[in-house]
Amino acid sequence: MTRLPAPWGQWIDRGQDISFTFEGRKITAHPGDSVASALLANGQRLIGRSFKYHRPRGIFSAAGWDANTLVQTGSKPNVNAERLLAVDGLSVSAVNYAGSLDRDWGRLVEKFSKLLAAGFYYKTFFTPRIAWKFWEPVIRHMAGLGRVDEKAPHAYYDKEYLFADVAVVGAGPAGLSAALEAARTGASVLLIDEEPEIGGSLNWARDGSDDLKNRVRAEKGIEILTGACVQALFDDNWLEIVKGNRLYKLRAKAVVAATGCYWLPMVFRHNDLPGVMLGSALQRLLRLWGVAPGKRAVVATANDEGYAVALDLADAGIEVAAISDLRPHRDEGRFAQEAGKRGMRILQGAAPFEAHEKNNRLASVDLVQAASGQFQERIDCDLLALSAGRIPASGLLSHAGAKFAHEAHMDLPSALPAHLFAAGSVNGRFSLASALADGALAGALAAKDAGFAAEIPPSVGRDALGVTHPWPIITHPKGMEFVDLDEDVQVKDIQASMADGYEHIQLLKRYSTSGMGPSQGKLFWPHVQRLMAKAKGVTPAEIGASTIRPPMGGETLGHLAGRAFEPVRLSAMHKRHLELGAVMMPAGAWMRPAYYGSDERAIDQEAKAVRDGVGLIDVSTLGGLDVRGPDAAVFLERLYTWTYAKLAVGRARYVLMCDQTGVVIDDGVAARLHEQHFYVTATTSGVDRVFRLMQWYNAQWRLRVDIAQVTSAYAAVNLAGPKARDVLARAGTDIDIKKEAFPYLGVRQGLVAGIPVRILRIGFVGELGYEIHCPAQYGEALWDGLMAAGQDFGIAPFGVEAQRILRLEKGHIIIGQDTDALTHPFEIGMDWAVKMDKPFFAGQAALRAHLEKAPVRKLVGFALENDKGPLPKECHLVIEKGDIAGRLTSVVRSPSLGRVIGMAFVKPEQAGLGNLFDIRVDGGAMVQARVVALPFYDPKSQRQEM
Amino acid sequence: MAALRKGFIDTGKIAPVLPALALADFSLKSRTGFKGSGAASWLAAQGLVLPDDPNQACTDAQGRMVARLSWGEFLLLGDFAGLEKAWSYESAPMCFPLPRQDSHAWIVVSGEVAPKMMAKICGIDLRPQVFPKGAIAQTSVARLNAIIIADQIGGRGGFHLLSDGSTSQYLWDCLVDAMLEFEGAPVRSEALSKETHGQTDAQG
Repeated sequence: MTRLPAPWGQWIDRGQDISFTFEGRKITAHPGDSVASALLANGQRLIGRSFKYHRPRGIFSAAGWDANTLVQTGSKPNVNAERLLAVDGLSVSAVNYAGSLDRDWGRLVEKFSKLLAAGFYYKTFFTPRIAWKFWEPVIRHMAGLGRVDEKAPHAYYDKEYLFADVAVVGAGPAGLSAALEAARTGASVLLIDEEPEIGGSLNWARDGSDDLKNRVRAEKGIEILTGACVQALFDDNWLEIVKGNRLYKLRAKAVVAATGCYWLPMVFRHNDLPGVMLGSALQRLLRLWGVAPGKRAVVATANDEGYAVALDLADAGIEVAAISDLRPHRDEGRFAQEAGKRGMRILQGAAPFEAHEKNNRLASVDLVQAASGQFQERIDCDLLALSAGRIPASGLLSHAGAKFAHEAHMDLPSALPAHLFAAGSVNGRFSLASALADGALAGALAAKDAGFAAEIPPSVGRDALGVTHPWPIITHPKGMEFVDLDEDVQVKDIQASMADGYEHIQLLKRYSTSGMGPSQGKLFWPHVQRLMAKAKGVTPAEIGASTIRPPMGGETLGHLAGRAFEPVRLSAMHKRHLELGAVMMPAGAWMRPAYYGSDERAIDQEAKAVRDGVGLIDVSTLGGLDVRGPDAAVFLERLYTWTYAKLAVGRARYVLMCDQTGVVIDDGVAARLHEQHFYVTATTSGVDRVFRLMQWYNAQWRLRVDIAQVTSAYAAVNLAGPKARDVLARAGTDIDIKKEAFPYLGVRQGLVAGIPVRILRIGFVGELGYEIHCPAQYGEALWDGLMAAGQDFGIAPFGVEAQRILRLEKGHIIIGQDTDALTHPFEIGMDWAVKMDKPFFAGQAALRAHLEKAPVRKLVGFALENDKGPLPKECHLVIEKGDIAGRLTSVVRSPSLGRVIGMAFVKPEQAGLGNLFDIRVDGGAMVQARVVALPFYDPKSQRQEM
Repeated sequence: MAALRKGFIDTGKIAPVLPALALADFSLKSRTGFKGSGAASWLAAQGLVLPDDPNQACTDAQGRMVARLSWGEFLLLGDFAGLEKAWSYESAPMCFPLPRQDSHAWIVVSGEVAPKMMAKICGIDLRPQVFPKGAIAQTSVARLNAIIIADQIGGRGGFHLLSDGSTSQYLWDCLVDAMLEFEGAPVRSEALSKETHGQTDAQG
């Protein structure tokens, strides 16, 4: 490992060594290294292979602005090695090669590059049609980078909200200045940067210093978030930020985008070879990580900053063979002057024409006269630094809907939405002094926008002229001048796309795939804009700015998905169910016992226990609503289909709710506990909707009523079976539970086993039953008391599955299973629960209309004629003369009746008792069923009223 | 004889000393609520000092907390048994008691870093400068409806969280998970109630 001496390499801790592997080879690094910098320090210049032609690729930006250095780390594909911190023990491998990274036979594709022009796949593979069968697997195999590890362990990702008065994105000079100015007003400031340290270019540029960084670190009003990528700026200053495995959601009152610029590359033949890199990349490698990436360099520039790169290279001991300046006239900048004074070889008006490759890396470069294209000379070198200008990193501004104008050969913001401010080079202020001044202005404006008293400093003008060259593109007759490294798009591909008629940027992007790769055209978009303008004979301004969409960097599905919050509701008796060996099933967010025992044979035994003795089921999930007030009865009259005005205190009545179209949406029971108080139950899944509707209607009707959702406040059990009364008596109660004193549909309040309860005598399962509701904190004690009391009577806990059988035997419907989104009460035999002569109830008008029309279907009970053959399932179709005539809603083999029974929607003409109809079962076979009367079990309802 | 009333939360391992961020189950402590268009006037007539605006809480001389959730809804943390006895349909028109003791679990978080931890499961800015003592948020916490009340708990900043009792174990687990990076830990409820202002910090 070779490193430059300090002060080069300010981010690495030379006192410690760590190691990781790359392609199985041990790489030694220092804490603070990126994987890419460590690879380079170990002489590993080849890091990846390009997507289309499998060309050798290495560090180009050293800042993660391109996709050259995507690697795989364990199960994670496509991690940018330039942004990946080197840690001990990491296993890293390259992506997208066949054979070995050094000898990739996938590069054979490059030989056929002439056949693979832009849009070739739109023109090539579809004729003859059969050809696609051959090509599809080939293309699928070649597509994509990295490997998806289907056995990857589940990683922990989560989210966190952040809050700030002013968010400053980018901790370069302008961002630091903005943060300081905003904090001065008392605003809370969050300063975010994707680098591990604040400072931006102050950390690696030739004129950097630490003073400003130290002032920001000392400011208490500034919170710093480094190593964090702002992926998006959404409406209302909502910033999505990714750091490590966490996605932050920042809501700021005002936002300063001080996102800086990318360095603009040059376009020439083989401008992608390892060794060709942005000038800023070289400065980063030298100053941040102390890595000298070569021995002999050529600097190709079109501005003063290229000269700063050359000076840095020379200071680091790297020979600068020449500075090739694209411009015809000498730069008067201070770095150019210093380079001149130091006797550096400056080739004015020269440009790189072709880079030559040896052993997968740069070996030499041919220079030409930029004006004439005449060959000038070939220079042996292993480094070629590029400095053609800047590209404002305007992604976040674009997300927010900023407008841009083409100025000084760049797209600079011309209009910003409210609460958003741009500062520094992204806003056209390039010198350090003007970036600092612009940052201070933006910081003050943002603080003022956030409601703080701020003194607004004077604005400074843009100093963008001369920064960016208008045409840093040197074409070559043999092509391979890349205008998109991600997708291997060449100059000729842009020209071909234009020739094919794709003249609009949004179409051309997609057709040529330029800008469609992982780096989204960050570095090469201006070149595409220039090439399009030239081909079309217009100015780049007329081509317009590209729309940049989120996310800005790597955003994984893990970031979006994690941490999943999936609430689980447990009843007060949950622990007891588990102790009794319950198999739990979800019912909405609730967990309910499906049955108790090791297999489903338990279900029939549980049903039998209820029919023959006594069973206990946890019905805590039933919705509970307290409807109270002087107008409570009036409210229920209007809301439900039946009548409640005259329901006596101490009595309960079925409730059926329709929506305004007359569709059945819920049912339950209303128990009158007081003249002013109805305790109303609703279905487990329907109670939230019922509660919302009750509040909605109450707000409109303005009755003297209050509604409280008390589902979770009450635990509830149904004690059911011929021995239920005995168990209740044994448990101990102060309520007179004799049949005459507490009849069917009675409601009582009192104590059971010392616990305050509300008891409803209702019978969903068709047996003598007590639905006992108690405050939830007593739920477990109530369960224990009843189970203990029932021991001598053979009490058995039963689950949802047994209850489904029992209720079907009794012909009780389940809303949502035996009804659908069109079901009205008259087609499910609920006429008895609808009082059409009431003045009003929700859905009444629609039901009147239903009554005037001929019915289209009817819910009937059925029994299978032959239940030895294939059995139907719920939702199997009723078929008549080859057409669909209805469907099954419920079907079970009844343990009490010893046959297969169910309910089905059939045509009205099929609904007569004794009629036969056909059901199509799995596999297409038909079975016959006969319409029978409901209920199947205990038709005179003697058992529930005993 | 085993106690009839039980909280629903398996609080797991309890920290031996009060950690920087502490979590406790207050669910067995007394609380109640009243609601309705006549609630404010009846409660005031009973001598209760009520916060002027919704989403504000205040503490009375006995250390009990009165939280105003809306113009006509009040959550009362502490022993208000006297009020419950005094209430009837006839004496308190359009004022109705709410079974808060059973409908809502009461979980307490204490520690200056509590807002930072809560930011992992709740989108409301709970930093003390914007959500001071006595502020109430009725919002979503880990996808649950929850009432958050800022308070001094155990001599430190913290929150009362009241959320549906049936999801209390889920919420507890979410909180324990969110606390891990702050080295937070569950503690006995006594560890947080005995040091709070007045008799208790809104404990029953």
